[in-house]
Amino acid sequence: MTGVVWLLRRLVASVAIIFAVVTLVFILIHVAPGDPCVGSDESARDPAMCPLLIRQFGLDQPLYVQYGRYLLQLLQGNLGYSFSLHRPVRDALAETIPFTLQLAGVALLIDFLVGLGLGIYQALRVNRLPDLVLSNVTLFAYSLPTFWLALVLLLLFAEKVKLFPLGGPSDPVLCPLIDSAYCVADRIWHLVLPALTLGLVGAAGTARFQRAAMLEVAQQDFVRTARAKGLSERRVVLRHQLRNALLSFITRFGLTLPFLLTGAVLIETIFAWPGMGRLAVDAILTRDHALVTATGLIASTVVVSGNFLADILIGIADPRVRVAADEAVPLLPA
Amino acid sequence: MLSAMPRRVRLPFSILVAALVAGAPSACERRGGCTGSYCGTLIDAAVGEPGTLLPTSTEEIVARDIEEQLFLKLADVGMSTNTVGDEDFQPLLAQRWEWDGPLTLVFHLDPRARWQDGQRVTATDVAFTFDAYNDSAVASPYRPQLKRIASVTPRDSLTAVFRFRERYPEMFYDAVYHMRILPAHLLRPVPRDQWKTAPFGRAPVGDGPYRFVRWQAAQSIELVADSTFFLGRPRLRRLIWRFTPDLGVAISQVVADQADIREQVVTPENLERLRAAPQIALYPYRGNVYTFLSFNQRANGDTAKPNPIFADREIRRALSMAVDRASLVRSRLGELGKVPPGPMSSLLWIWDPEIRQLPFDTAQASSILNARGWRDHDGDGIRDRAGQPLAFHILVPTTSVLRKQYARLLQEEYRAIGVRVDIDEVENSVVGQRVGTGHYDTAILSRANDPSPSSGIAQTWTRAGFGGSNFGRYANPEFDRLVDRAIAATSPDDARRLWRSAMDLINADAPAVFLYSLENMAAIHSRVDNVQLRPDSWAALLRGWRIPSSGLIDRDRVER
Amino acid sequence: MTLATWFALLVAIILAAETVRALRQRALGSERWRRFFRHPTAAWGLVILVFLIMVAVAAPLIAPFDPDRQLDIIGLKNHPPSWTFPLGTDVLSRDVWSRIVYGARVSLGIGGLGALVAVSVGSLVGAVAGYYRRWVDAVLMRTVDVGLALPRIFILLMAVALWDRLPFGVLVLVIGLTSWFGTGRLVRAEVLSLRERDYVLAARALGAGAGGVIFRHVLPNAAAPIIVSAALGVGNVLLLEASLSYLGIGVRPPTPSWGNMIADGAPNIYTAPWTTLAAGLAISLVVMSLNAVADGLRDALDPREEGSTT
Repeated sequence: MTGVVWLLRRLVASVAIIFAVVTLVFILIHVAPGDPCVGSDESARDPAMCPLLIRQFGLDQPLYVQYGRYLLQLLQGNLGYSFSLHRPVRDALAETIPFTLQLAGVALLIDFLVGLGLGIYQALRVNRLPDLVLSNVTLFAYSLPTFWLALVLLLLFAEKVKLFPLGGPSDPVLCPLIDSAYCVADRIWHLVLPALTLGLVGAAGTARFQRAAMLEVAQQDFVRTARAKGLSERRVVLRHQLRNALLSFITRFGLTLPFLLTGAVLIETIFAWPGMGRLAVDAILTRDHALVTATGLIASTVVVSGNFLADILIGIADPRVRVAADEAVPLLPA
Repeated sequence: MLSAMPRRVRLPFSILVAALVAGAPSACERRGGCTGSYCGTLIDAAVGEPGTLLPTSTEEIVARDIEEQLFLKLADVGMSTNTVGDEDFQPLLAQRWEWDGPLTLVFHLDPRARWQDGQRVTATDVAFTFDAYNDSAVASPYRPQLKRIASVTPRDSLTAVFRFRERYPEMFYDAVYHMRILPAHLLRPVPRDQWKTAPFGRAPVGDGPYRFVRWQAAQSIELVADSTFFLGRPRLRRLIWRFTPDLGVAISQVVADQADIREQVVTPENLERLRAAPQIALYPYRGNVYTFLSFNQRANGDTAKPNPIFADREIRRALSMAVDRASLVRSRLGELGKVPPGPMSSLLWIWDPEIRQLPFDTAQASSILNARGWRDHDGDGIRDRAGQPLAFHILVPTTSVLRKQYARLLQEEYRAIGVRVDIDEVENSVVGQRVGTGHYDTAILSRANDPSPSSGIAQTWTRAGFGGSNFGRYANPEFDRLVDRAIAATSPDDARRLWRSAMDLINADAPAVFLYSLENMAAIHSRVDNVQLRPDSWAALLRGWRIPSSGLIDRDRVER
Repeated sequence: MTLATWFALLVAIILAAETVRALRQRALGSERWRRFFRHPTAAWGLVILVFLIMVAVAAPLIAPFDPDRQLDIIGLKNHPPSWTFPLGTDVLSRDVWSRIVYGARVSLGIGGLGALVAVSVGSLVGAVAGYYRRWVDAVLMRTVDVGLALPRIFILLMAVALWDRLPFGVLVLVIGLTSWFGTGRLVRAEVLSLRERDYVLAARALGAGAGGVIFRHVLPNAAAPIIVSAALGVGNVLLLEASLSYLGIGVRPPTPSWGNMIADGAPNIYTAPWTTLAAGLAISLVVMSLNAVADGLRDALDPREEGSTT
């Protein structure tokens, strides 16, 4: 199988998956009981308005008609209108995406830097005291519920020791927009606690995984050959182990992506971070059809693209793996 | 870890870290040098974000606080919140007024009033506003309050004429209190059925002491003082409402000096935390919110049929008597709440502890339930009748920690007399939808009172409220009659007597358990002077607050 | 805490330790068990798990108070830890320790059942896909891809939040049905490699039906990843239940679950942190033990791993 054909196959599969996800979400939210006429609190709502709203948004049509209309709109770039936010979905999403990217980006950075570093360090000092201590530490950190860690960190570092802000993405007085170096620093300062929460738990997982992967590689023939050839221990590790272990790291990258969207939901709520996760949850809880379907679309696109990217990277790095990429097995079951 | 890195990576990594560390101090510059008496930035730690800032369509209290600064009424109540006659009202948009006959009220607008785009405020705006509030396509929740006004017409560009259908003591109040005047020239092009979602609501243009600056979704709304405001330039330059998902975090922000105002402290635990913060001053003021457990007297999901449990007056009375309201208030609110003697908060003048209420008496409650056939026939601890258990659901919004706790407390109180309660915690908007369409058994709801009982009570507890705020569909013709007569009563003694009778009656009918009325406590940074909190709307007199130039702190000096 | 409950607690601790020690004795006889016990953390994890299961089962003996009882809503709310209340009381004056003990039942129950559903469905799907291959495999694996593409909380929220009053059993079922995808892939890989083994070919040559081959020959030998999956799955479901309860759509009050205890305690975390801290630590402890045990199991059951990842 040539590279191009394989690539095309993967691409078609990815698009099909996204399509299936969107259809599934669409059906679920439209079939669920509860009608779309909601007010924002318990004050009176004129019941005569509801049928008008329903007709205006075409919600009285049969499901397949609505679905067809939705697909058509999608092709034109119109993601629909959000009842709960009183804005077109595209605007609401566009506002949240930069925040999600910032949080996910920094969290991923912490995850992989700390995780890789720890994993490699542990593999180098395998079975000695630092390794044993760190193994237990990562085991503990990996088992923490992230939202509980968020609450505890907030309590410790924002309340008891007033080091970090209590949530929100920026200082509303000085930096409603990022327009100076000071505001960039301010944004980073606000990012620390939420990104740490997400990143540390992820880092623990990455460290455990990386340690295991590197130790497995250490047993393989080519490493033993290199050692037999008389190359220094350090160079054996760094050149061969690292490179091959990095391949499995890339695989794991694709698996971490959905976690960031999932785990981020509660973190965003606790730290008042205006990202997509919180938007998605609120949309589901308020049964905002258009917003839910749109976030499902975006979430699945991100995940599928991440996996696709990971597959390409591995395919480039190691041709042996290319054929088997379709059957990539997660080395730690999700 | 550094030693584990190959040499190639080590150097650039170290440079990056050094750059960040070196750059940090220079990034920590403070900007702004505002000094003098017109500086000041106040941040309000708000819980929950409004949907729109268009006055006809707002529902959240936070939205109303913000609209206080953006849009003017013709006149407003004074600190006494007296709503009878017109002596205690403060002129705002209307400079003066007079009665032109028993049913005609004429307002003369202040010629200095301007919209923030420069246009003058005219009587056409007033007439347009009335038309909009009354329009069923706009579906404003304030529409029922204006039903006694027949028409509003402009006599000339600065004179607006109100004509009423009948004569009653609070005519002036109804004319001025409910409507915020809107710019006709900006809103006329917007189709009426799209007002709730109009872009104007996300970027309003008003005539008030503050101008809208920006709204960052899910983060904050910023207002800046209008230096040419005709009733006096506000002393505080900027107001920022910052949204937090959680009351606890909002309180933390105030304690940590990241916010200046928390207008409702709510619980004694929060009060303790605020008392410990040295920079905070606490201001108690009369509360305007009361909370109740509403019994749906129609079947869950079918308003045509009566509810098998709650349509029976005796059972409602029994369920009310089973709740130890005083203990619940002491436990959850301490000094910050009171047991209301009816559907009212302590803001209303009809608050009278002498009003006849149902006592807390579990023995009597039990015997009533027994008499109605609800006994524990199968020994499982829950009463039943004809094979059906005495069980119902309490609907409660996820956003209110206090109401969630109350739901759990009520669940326990009812378990003690053999009633099984399940708690449904759902999103606020879903609560609204379910109670509005009658898809609930009971729900814990809150009402914010206007300064007069005449608007709220009729809307929520009489037949006129069917399809509106009277979700439980309580209807007692005698009660409706008493309320109508009380509103129309010309002498204050008559009014007091009639309201008292009405309250006695509604308590006896027990359409709801009136759980608590909040006693407000505002936490405000101590550097702020001249803090005046009007009990019906704490933010109404915000433009009179000031920070002396000796008390300015960093965020006050920012000059954006 | 009364003397009786302290005693019951002590008995549970001792029993757990003894059970594991007995297992360890047996370990000397079996190569696999020896590999398992080479991890000291695995042994500890097992002790903690057995202890918690005992606590959950014997909850009425160990818990001094009724977990739902509000003891004194005025005088005993948010009481700090003391001799009578080892973990304090919560905001509604309920004993936190009793709620943790009864919460163990709910949380471990959900974890166990949910993981059971997930692993069963995943194993079945994976085995069928790996055995039949071709279009059956393609269809099933695409379904797995779709399932993995949506963040789990998203699907769960949709299922749970959109139907207002889901009974407990349905909740567990839904959690299980959204958690099987990873196991499915794992088992499929295992089956793909196993199906060419001699005994499988022999069984098929002898005319055994597909079902028989799958259940009697393939799955038992694919047991290693399935078991490890199950151990990790319980932990995942536990964390999931905690998240759902925090969002208000998990276990309904007044039933205590560790997740909704965190949610109940969160508003008071600044003045009365013990509820939230205790519940969170309990969850961490269980998940940690499960992960440790899973590590040990992975070594014990998979000969390829032998000697390398200690």
